[in-house]
Amino acid sequence: MPEITYREAIRDAMVTEMRRDDTVFLMGEDIGTYGGAFGVSAGMLDEFGPERILETPISELAIVGAATGAAMVGMKPIAELMFMDFILLALEPLMNQAAKARYMFGGKATVPMVIRMAGGSGTGAAAQHSQSLENILMTIPGIKVVAPSNPHDAKGLLISAIRDPNPVCFIEHKLLYKVKGEVPEDEYTIPLGSAEVKREGTDLTVVTSGIMVSKTMRVAEKLAAEGISIEVIDPRTLRPLDTATINASVKKTGKLLVVHEATKIGGWAGEVFAAVSESDAFDYLDAPMRRLAGKDCPIPYNRLLEAAAVPQEADIETEIRAIISNAY
Amino acid sequence: MPTPFIMPKMDMDQEVVTIIEWLKKEGEKVTKGEPVVTVETDKITSDIEAPETGTLFGILYFENEEAPVTKVVAYILAEGESLPDLSDGKGTSHESVPPESATPAVSVATPNLRVTPVAERMATSMNIDLTKVQTKGDKITKNDIENFLAAPQVVPGGKTAATPAARRLSKENDVDLSSVNGSGPRGRIQSIDVAANVPQIAKPQSTHVTVKSSGLTPGSSVPLVGKRKRIAERLTASYQNSPHIYLTVEVDMSRAEESRQRMNKLNEKTGKSSISVTAYLAKLVAWNLSHHPYLNASIVEDRIEFWEDVNLGIATAVSDGLVVPVIHQADQLGLVDLNERMRYLAKQARDGLLTREEVDGGTFTISNLGMFGIKSFTAIINPPQTGILAVGATVRKPIVVDENDKVEVRPIMTMTLSVDHRIVDGAVGAQFLADLVRVIENPDMMIY
Repeated sequence: MPEITYREAIRDAMVTEMRRDDTVFLMGEDIGTYGGAFGVSAGMLDEFGPERILETPISELAIVGAATGAAMVGMKPIAELMFMDFILLALEPLMNQAAKARYMFGGKATVPMVIRMAGGSGTGAAAQHSQSLENILMTIPGIKVVAPSNPHDAKGLLISAIRDPNPVCFIEHKLLYKVKGEVPEDEYTIPLGSAEVKREGTDLTVVTSGIMVSKTMRVAEKLAAEGISIEVIDPRTLRPLDTATINASVKKTGKLLVVHEATKIGGWAGEVFAAVSESDAFDYLDAPMRRLAGKDCPIPYNRLLEAAAVPQEADIETEIRAIISNAY
Repeated sequence: MPTPFIMPKMDMDQEVVTIIEWLKKEGEKVTKGEPVVTVETDKITSDIEAPETGTLFGILYFENEEAPVTKVVAYILAEGESLPDLSDGKGTSHESVPPESATPAVSVATPNLRVTPVAERMATSMNIDLTKVQTKGDKITKNDIENFLAAPQVVPGGKTAATPAARRLSKENDVDLSSVNGSGPRGRIQSIDVAANVPQIAKPQSTHVTVKSSGLTPGSSVPLVGKRKRIAERLTASYQNSPHIYLTVEVDMSRAEESRQRMNKLNEKTGKSSISVTAYLAKLVAWNLSHHPYLNASIVEDRIEFWEDVNLGIATAVSDGLVVPVIHQADQLGLVDLNERMRYLAKQARDGLLTREEVDGGTFTISNLGMFGIKSFTAIINPPQTGILAVGATVRKPIVVDENDKVEVRPIMTMTLSVDHRIVDGAVGAQFLADLVRVIENPDMMIY
């Protein structure tokens, strides 16, 4: 199986769907000749031309508004936002229009659009270009939130997202763009709303997403050598959240840690805890559920402070050891 | 309501005090703040003051008895009050009592708290309410926080602190949670604690049978507390207080190995577990100890106490340190029973399920590091015992086997006996070891 980068896997998914379905098109800032802020759409202009690789003005409100309208009249737009931070400018069309149209028109209208956005810190892009805003997006009924953690999932999930009749926010972590992984050349889909058990274990369940998955996996490998057995679950889709897989795992291990880069207060770890508490998995908890999340502060520009603001491998390891040793 | 008189916890890893003297007798009037009882811990003797004014009643622990800390040891009755029902006896829960009365000698921190920076950081990171932390000084220190964490959780309304999993297990197996001791933080009952009360259920958490490091990155540190601290204190005291002498011998294991293997073939047929080297040795050591009273003795105050039973401790490495489960009356057990007992205790040790009885009363210890390939080593005596046998690996090597200097390759094991010279002189220890070698090299000596 060929190894390609996360960025190439996303491009592969878009190209696959655009070749298959004429109604799929890409729109966004500098996505044509420039190839997109992170080079995701490089070369696509040559194949599909300026009508389907549609350059837009610098207005996220316009991009998402236009995509919503296009979707309602039968197209399947993929809108690219340079940075996830800018979704805030487009919350009105996203939250008030796209998310509600299908409901308000009694199912007669659907909004099959995907908004791709680069999220996360780690590139020194400071407070306004480094946020993880999935906490906000997850609270919106009517949209789906997807956050792939590796190239294989990126391709399969994006194809599913494009084919989904509902608005999907597709969160790409900036630090993952260059990460390589095995990705099948053929088209395949990964259903939205299904988590993956990345690693089986018996002592503790760690639910984590995006860039934190690979960090957690490395810690889990290290601890395995000491006989500490960690189960790692990547939900892949944050909304809808695959609580069945998470609950089953908690019933097995009795202990839960959620790791996310998004800020802690109001963070989605709380949603995972609630799901466990509301299910029969609660009766299997043998320690308080814990979360390791981004600090409740803007992402700092200084590189050292930036790293300190979000969970790093050492933090994950310390937290896991604390839970395993019954420190809480 | 009668005021429970609760034995305060004076030391972080302290579980019991010894009652030296009740300064006030049953039925006598006591005044708040007045010394009522003199107790002794491993470190100090101190007087415990009355938490309330009234009449002392219902003394549960008497002179020279051990009383558990943080538990009720007596009651103080106000005018016209009667004693609560004591049918469930000693160690009655302390939970319905506000924490301040649990430790009368200790002041409760006031709202204008004084806290050291380290303590403050610990409290913040562990979500500890500093107003609940008690201090003996005028500032809350790291020590106070550690004491607070180690103390059993006081839950208002007498509700027991237990994890959901522990509650489910207790319900499924009909275990009364109030009878379970919690091993979790602040005394919280974990599922493993409930499982310990239900022999037939498997431990729900996985166990790590390998010896793993306490798992910290270089440059970090952990507080020296709990079991580790007790190991440190006990072994340091032993090494400082008992003058150790070491005697080393090599022993030819040919016949013992041959005999063990013969038995194991039989065990295979009858479905019994295979007898380990340690179990085989333990049997011979126990037999030998029954013939050498000085090695099965302890110094108790100013006397040497020769023990009637041979209670053999087997040093066992577990994930968080070392435990020494004890095979009681090992000299009375047949090898098959002894082997089963040893297997059971080793499993309990690894699962952290050993009871107090299973680790108490040892009179001699065997420590076998042969499985790690250690050829020989010296061990520190486990007080108040007098001897410990350090067993190394059996290795095949050439030795002279007869008076004609004939050389043969034999399985040779090296053992080192550590003895307390206060009780055992070199010659006495040497005789024990010589007899042990003789019985290992000729197991039929046991029936001689």
